[in-house]
Amino acid sequence: MKRAPASTASKNARVRQDTRCHSHTNSFQHSRHVEPSDVAERSSSPRRRRRYRSRSHERPLYPDYYRPYDSRRDLLRDHSNDPRVADLFQGITVEERNLSALVSSMTDMDVGSGDRYRGSGYRGGGNKRRRDDEDDYHYSPGGRGDRRGPQRRRYDDAPPRRRYEEPAHAKLRRTILNIASSTKLPQDEAIEIAEYLRDHFDEEDARGEFYDTLLQLIVEQPLKIPFVAAVVFYGNQAKIEIASEAIKLVGDRLQETFNAGQWKEFKLFLRFFACLQPLFEEDGIFALLEQLFDTVVDLQSANENDVVGIELVKIILLTIPYALVSGGSRYHEKAGELLSNTGIVAGNMLPMESLIHTYDNENEDKVIGYHSIIGILQQQLTRESENGWEIACIPKFDAEALQKKQSEDTLPTTPPTHAFPTFTIPSPVNPGSKPLFPEAYFSLFANHENGTVPKTDDIAASLIRDAIVDTIDQLDFNRDAAAKFLIELDSYWSLDTFAKRGTPFDKFREVVGDKVMYKSEDMIIDAIFSQLFKLPTADHKLVYYHALITSCCKLAPQAIAPSLGRAIRTIYQSLHVLDLELTYRFLDWFTHHLSNFEFRWRWAEWIGDLELSNLQPKKAFIIAALDKEIRLSFAKRIRSTLPQEMNELIPARLDEDNSPEFKYDNPVDVPYSAQAKELIQQLKKKAPAEEVQKTIDQIHDLANEQGVADVLIPSTDAFVTAICRLGAKSLAHVLSCIERGKDRLIEVAQTSEAARRQIVASVFGYWKDQPGVAVRIIDILLNYTILAPMTVIQWVLGENLGAGEGLAESWVYEIISITIAKVSSRNRQIVNSRVVKGLPQDMIDMVEATLSKDRDAARELFKYLEDVLRALAQGSTDRLMEKEMSGEISKEDGELIKAWGKRWHTVFVRKSAVEESVVGEQAVEARIRLLAAEPDPEPEAMDTEVANGDATEEVAVNGD
Amino acid sequence: MPALRKKSTVERLDKASSYASSKNRRRNQNRRDGQREREPTPEDEKLKDATTLYVGNLSFYTTEEQIHELFSKCGEIKRLVMGLDRFQKTPCGFCFVEYYTHQDALDCMKYIGGTKLDERIIRSDLDEGFAEGRQYGRGKSGGQVRDEYRDEYDPGRGGYGRAIQEEESYAKEYE
Repeated sequence: MKRAPASTASKNARVRQDTRCHSHTNSFQHSRHVEPSDVAERSSSPRRRRRYRSRSHERPLYPDYYRPYDSRRDLLRDHSNDPRVADLFQGITVEERNLSALVSSMTDMDVGSGDRYRGSGYRGGGNKRRRDDEDDYHYSPGGRGDRRGPQRRRYDDAPPRRRYEEPAHAKLRRTILNIASSTKLPQDEAIEIAEYLRDHFDEEDARGEFYDTLLQLIVEQPLKIPFVAAVVFYGNQAKIEIASEAIKLVGDRLQETFNAGQWKEFKLFLRFFACLQPLFEEDGIFALLEQLFDTVVDLQSANENDVVGIELVKIILLTIPYALVSGGSRYHEKAGELLSNTGIVAGNMLPMESLIHTYDNENEDKVIGYHSIIGILQQQLTRESENGWEIACIPKFDAEALQKKQSEDTLPTTPPTHAFPTFTIPSPVNPGSKPLFPEAYFSLFANHENGTVPKTDDIAASLIRDAIVDTIDQLDFNRDAAAKFLIELDSYWSLDTFAKRGTPFDKFREVVGDKVMYKSEDMIIDAIFSQLFKLPTADHKLVYYHALITSCCKLAPQAIAPSLGRAIRTIYQSLHVLDLELTYRFLDWFTHHLSNFEFRWRWAEWIGDLELSNLQPKKAFIIAALDKEIRLSFAKRIRSTLPQEMNELIPARLDEDNSPEFKYDNPVDVPYSAQAKELIQQLKKKAPAEEVQKTIDQIHDLANEQGVADVLIPSTDAFVTAICRLGAKSLAHVLSCIERGKDRLIEVAQTSEAARRQIVASVFGYWKDQPGVAVRIIDILLNYTILAPMTVIQWVLGENLGAGEGLAESWVYEIISITIAKVSSRNRQIVNSRVVKGLPQDMIDMVEATLSKDRDAARELFKYLEDVLRALAQGSTDRLMEKEMSGEISKEDGELIKAWGKRWHTVFVRKSAVEESVVGEQAVEARIRLLAAEPDPEPEAMDTEVANGDATEEVAVNGD
Repeated sequence: MPALRKKSTVERLDKASSYASSKNRRRNQNRRDGQREREPTPEDEKLKDATTLYVGNLSFYTTEEQIHELFSKCGEIKRLVMGLDRFQKTPCGFCFVEYYTHQDALDCMKYIGGTKLDERIIRSDLDEGFAEGRQYGRGKSGGQVRDEYRDEYDPGRGGYGRAIQEEESYAKEYE
């Protein structure tokens, strides 16, 4: 037996474990299926600890054809200057030990507190464990030479640590950062801060810190905008300069963000002004909103596919409610006018919108129909205007609170007002660095009768959603902080907006009664899924949303988990009508999520679906989920988390954890076995090409004797299978084997189309039980340009597909979308390298020639995909018709295949349209025009490039 | 927009957490009023376009494929170097993951560091880049230093610390 780790003394160590862990026995009692020993048991599996070659230079870098325009932009970015600021997190420890409660409550509604401390306690207690987790790299126990114990963690820097008076700048920063997060009335807090600022306004340090923090808060913690605006509002009464300085600074940012097309930041600065509407002379912000709308009209009349105008309308509509809440009834008329103007744009449907439906809009099983975000906003605001603009959810402040407080000694005076900062709209308008698309409003829970989230006609739906989404987007650099603000969602809205945190779903109506109140956990989960499910692409790498959900679950397991469980079940029930790309995002999230929570899921409730045909989306999902789980773990472990009934979904062979069998080991069934074995030996000892060729020639001779038309097919099969077999130990091994066979493979691929496809076939053939590994290997072969994208697609959707059954397999989708993403990402990189200021003409010519060639190649790919998929969707492929005739495929399965074809088709038509809109001639020309119009070359050009790079990354990662 | 990239309102998870910068942070707290921004240290300079991550607290049994499956969620992986026991040449609980871009590495810090792989919370840190020799454990017995003296049982990392195991087996002999 190959030796597993921990061999020496492991026996007596095991014994010691028993005694040592005795003190933890109590915490173990509540564990359900998973015993720690399950995890330890793997030491019995030999495959998992392979010896590696000792010198790393034998392991080449992964090849990288699709990465020609490297990471120049990263050089421009310096993230190293921000000091850590942790004082926001007083007393919050992200503890792992509550987690089993989470998972069980995701499945069972009632959770006793009994199992709270189980966690992964088998590794030993509290701090010690944490230190091992976190500090193994640079931390040396004896090295620090002091008695402070483990280093402090991130969140426990409590603010006023020492007994001395907190300096003014620190106090201002702390108090404004923490506004609305304590039990104090936010209004009182705002007044206190304003007065404190007034008293210290002459201290440059304090003033500077205050405004820095203010600006940063607006863009990073959008939920707090009404509150920080209140500070400035009261500040205006306390000392007029407090407000005038804020207005000036924010006014500058407003202009800068507009010029740069940073729409999110622009919207947030605008919101801050909306909350200060009473401070402005005349129409205040409404004049600006009208100015923006005029721009929209210009943009839309110049281009019917314009998306910037749509973005601006969204911003206008989302600003109005804040301005009305602070400005009061005298602006109702203005708002009404604006609203009647935006109606046409908001009601308009762009061609692109038909491609971004979350659900099949025609099907009645859909969870929610398609609504565009601006369409729904327009409706909600119209309804609100008919109801006298109540806008209940936005927090309100008493304009006279400060005067009331002071009224004992002074007479109330009219607070001073300010001119709204001048704002100019540049021409042409910079659309920003990220490609814009119309957005759909998505909610999993909106149509549920329990009313835990606002109905789609309720303005609260859009306002709260928008603020949550901004918080998620802006705080992606600290998912735990984002999660914390989301969990505290109810603190940032008016008092009766939300029911008490953690109100159980089934008691919700009972608790809330007749009032309109929402369940904050449902709104959080709803919002996160709306982002995870955003089409055509999510704003961040999808894994961010995975991590965010995990963080939310860690922070408030008992509140969040049940909502999450309901979300999962709702999605699962509607899988057959969900956009196919989204089912794979869901799959990826679901399995990654479970991997963070001991792979616990109540599979038993889906056992009924095991009887379904593998072509049923639910069954296909279960099969795919198990495969994904195994990839993150190992077969035996995943099996241990499943009910008996699901056992057969995991091939028993996988438990062995051996390399897949080499088909040539069985000489009875498979010809050429002697030669294939010889090839392995030759690869192993790195035999010269001539020797290998001799063996290949033998195969060719044999094949000729048997009348094989293309003798390269059997020889390629043997050669590639041998590479797979020899490289089965790990990716590093297969990489070095491919490296050895590279020249031959390239030669073969250039000689015969069929042999080229055979390479793909052999890889998937060898790894048929673990298609994930095959996908990685194909990925490597694509990067080496041994395979062309078209080869992969032709094999996967051709020979491999049968009558179309393959459409239901997740790896088929995975490999196609990876291939397409590679091609798309390369094209985007080429475009980015074109849109650079001051490129010499010969470079321009070269880049454009490459672009035009590669763009055509991509179009050809998409066309091929669309044709194949359309035929499948219509059921007009020969193979399907034959099999249906012969009864090999039942009528129902035939229908299912067509349905898969249709869903596939939708996805790739969309992807094709998206790429057209980003790298198509029109799009590129528009960007070149914009570039030409840019005044100052250096900083702007660099900025655009940095951000464009980001967008490309996302395609590459989120491409599936 | 340099003004917007100033001091964040919450800590960033994509900062290198090396011992050097933590030392620097402490020093900084003591002179809070004077200088608000921390000046870049040589370490920061080295890491400012790092594309490599050190990944720690892996189980010895975690395979390259598993690491790939998780870490490719943040971007295409350029190279993966498993940390090996210096003598046995078997994985010893850490690895280097190299991406093509600095941004992918930062995203990995933000989204994957501190989450679980193979049911263990893994730790990620920006790294100045892999160099030959660094794939080996630096502990006396070939593994990582932390696995020498660990007095807790960790089944994913070979039981108790090696030094402690040895001590025990000596004790047995004299019984």
